Amino acid sequence: MARSNPTRKTLVVLVSGALLSTAACGLGGAGAGNTEEAERTGRVAGEITFRTLQLKPAFTGYVQAVIDAFEKEHPEVKVNWEDVPGDGYNEKLVADAQAGALPDVVNLSTDSFQLLGDRGMLADVAKLDGDSAGEYVPGAWEQFKLPGKGDSVYAYPWYVTPEILTYNRELFEKSGLDPAAPPTSVEQFFDYAEQIAARSGGRYTAFMADPKGRLPGDWQKMGVPVLNARKDRFTFGTDQAVAWVERMKDLYDKGAMPKESLLKSDDINQLYGGGKLVFGPGSPGFVKDIKQNAPQVYAKTGVAGAVTGRLGHIGIYAQSLGIRKDTKHLDAAAAFAKWVTNGPNQVEFSRKATIYPSNARGLADPFFSDRGDGSDAETLARAVGADQLKTAALDANTPVQWTNQVGDAVVREVQKAIKGEQDARTAVKKAEEAANRLLADAARG
Amino acid sequence: MEADTGLPHRAWWTPYLFLAPGLVMVVLFGLWPFVNTVILSFTDARILRGGGFVGLDNYRRAVADPDFWVATGNSVLYLLVVVPCLVFLPLALAVLVRAKIPGIGFFRSAFYTPVIASAVVVGLIWQWVLRSDGLVNTVFRRLHLVSEPVPFLTDSTMLLVSAMIVTVWKGLGYYMVFYLAALGNVPASLHEAAAIDGAGPVRRFFSITVPQVKPMMLLVGTLSAISALRVFTEIYILGGESGGPGGGARTLPFLIRQVGLGFAGETGYASAISILLFLLTLGFSLLGRRLTKGDEG
Repeated sequence: MARSNPTRKTLVVLVSGALLSTAACGLGGAGAGNTEEAERTGRVAGEITFRTLQLKPAFTGYVQAVIDAFEKEHPEVKVNWEDVPGDGYNEKLVADAQAGALPDVVNLSTDSFQLLGDRGMLADVAKLDGDSAGEYVPGAWEQFKLPGKGDSVYAYPWYVTPEILTYNRELFEKSGLDPAAPPTSVEQFFDYAEQIAARSGGRYTAFMADPKGRLPGDWQKMGVPVLNARKDRFTFGTDQAVAWVERMKDLYDKGAMPKESLLKSDDINQLYGGGKLVFGPGSPGFVKDIKQNAPQVYAKTGVAGAVTGRLGHIGIYAQSLGIRKDTKHLDAAAAFAKWVTNGPNQVEFSRKATIYPSNARGLADPFFSDRGDGSDAETLARAVGADQLKTAALDANTPVQWTNQVGDAVVREVQKAIKGEQDARTAVKKAEEAANRLLADAARG
Repeated sequence: MEADTGLPHRAWWTPYLFLAPGLVMVVLFGLWPFVNTVILSFTDARILRGGGFVGLDNYRRAVADPDFWVATGNSVLYLLVVVPCLVFLPLALAVLVRAKIPGIGFFRSAFYTPVIASAVVVGLIWQWVLRSDGLVNTVFRRLHLVSEPVPFLTDSTMLLVSAMIVTVWKGLGYYMVFYLAALGNVPASLHEAAAIDGAGPVRRFFSITVPQVKPMMLLVGTLSAISALRVFTEIYILGGESGGPGGGARTLPFLIRQVGLGFAGETGYASAISILLFLLTLGFSLLGRRLTKGDEG
């Protein structure tokens, strides 16, 4: 026994040492800021990985066909396609970025794009392929620039979904509103909601409170300056923002919104489909869902351009294709990303899903301007969405600085005000302070 | 000295070889993440990058953070309400369903059903029951008991109470099975002797059943205390991701998730709160252990 003691001690020391050192490895971080930029060789060849966000199994055929056609055109390229489910997509991306295992071409949503781009993990597409800028709808290309990084563009715009307005025409009429004149500004939207609440007798409500979903979009539309010019400080603490909170509280008290929607809005489809909600979700894809699941409400659904503000802004949810900055096959990756996002491929995709091409020639396809006889909500939604994309200013998106944490912090204060636990001015002031604290913390990091 | 087994001499590491697969799992998925959390709690690490050591900064920040105290208060309140309910109600239930009468099997199964139902399903059902236009409020309004719907899910305190009701409802059947096993070990002769001495059912329950199942009550108390401190799902499903209006119903695990999640997630700070939650859980577990020891002594 005496013989084994020192050995055991050594073993314990070794195991603990190994544990501590591996644990401390977590502190090393990704070191992504130092990612070496790959160089173009002029030869489109090599094996690249392409990651998409939840396109299997619904669009397997489409994506595979796009890949096959590309490989046929460039026989020296082999594309390995991997599809990752939406749940935990960003988390997986983070883990891969940390491990230096990002795919060569990767499907990014707005938030993941901003983060990877900010950390210098994505190749500058403008530098690689600046001539492509004109091929995309105005705004879509610019959208993938980052503050403080000049004219660099860090992803190829892929499919986009603009915000639209959906509403129940029958409930509009019952509330004494004209179904042909849906609201166009945030303020008018609230006025309509007030009238709906007054006439509904509690049988239906106007819209989902959902402050997390409404902010900062509503404020941006109202012209509230969310950030200062240098984008290093939140400045939304204005009288207008206070007025917004006061109005929300007033409408909430009057029954314009389902009570629980202050906290969660996941039952919006169910409420709208059940004829208990006047304004439905602002996404063209939703109209298709309603057509399938609630045909009787679909028949009464009206579609209009999104509620904008004085500045004519709308929100747009954009998907893009980023290229890993240190990819081994830059030419192949860039050529492939451009291929996937080209006009014909995007139009083909849009025919299969309720999405829109960011490619200008693609969006000009007659498919997107066909309004039918104006009575079918799905056809109308497609045309309205496409119109919005062509004309509206597209900068009402959530700024990079408005992180999930900032959103939560602001929403917590707003919720308290809507519930009457604090006044609107205090809520906005505290929200701005909390948001600035988080922004300062992030800047220090 | 080791007995001569007739087998070739065993090397000292032979037992470790057998233990190795299990040990590797424990080290990899239990010990290492724990050690890592402890280390991270002393850093300003974020999701996408490692951090530098900042000493006790995260702990100081937690102590000064009102959100932390609200969450701690909610977690402790949860424990103080839920644990007694989960110690006594399942015992009462177990005594009830123990009787050998026809059809009792149905009730036993019925009480156990919530345990096997997924937390999400349970949450959705209760949401439907408790929302402002839900079952309970509709009944209340029809009976003219209330003029305005009771804000079960939209008021922080009511939301916590609603979540507690769900936790207790879900735990009843689970701990009932524990008590059924314990009750099976209570000698029938004790009850018979007491009955002969003139003790009624109530007296026998308090003087025989309760002392006999006391060790099980302490075990149930400890287990339910640990799960009460870890509560997250009920509040999340009933009250949404903000954790009640203004986050007023957030518990510690809820806060950890909120602080640590997302691209701007503060891994270091979230780790520090995790460690504080661990210490709180450890404290209550030790308290439970002490009570058990006191009982044995």
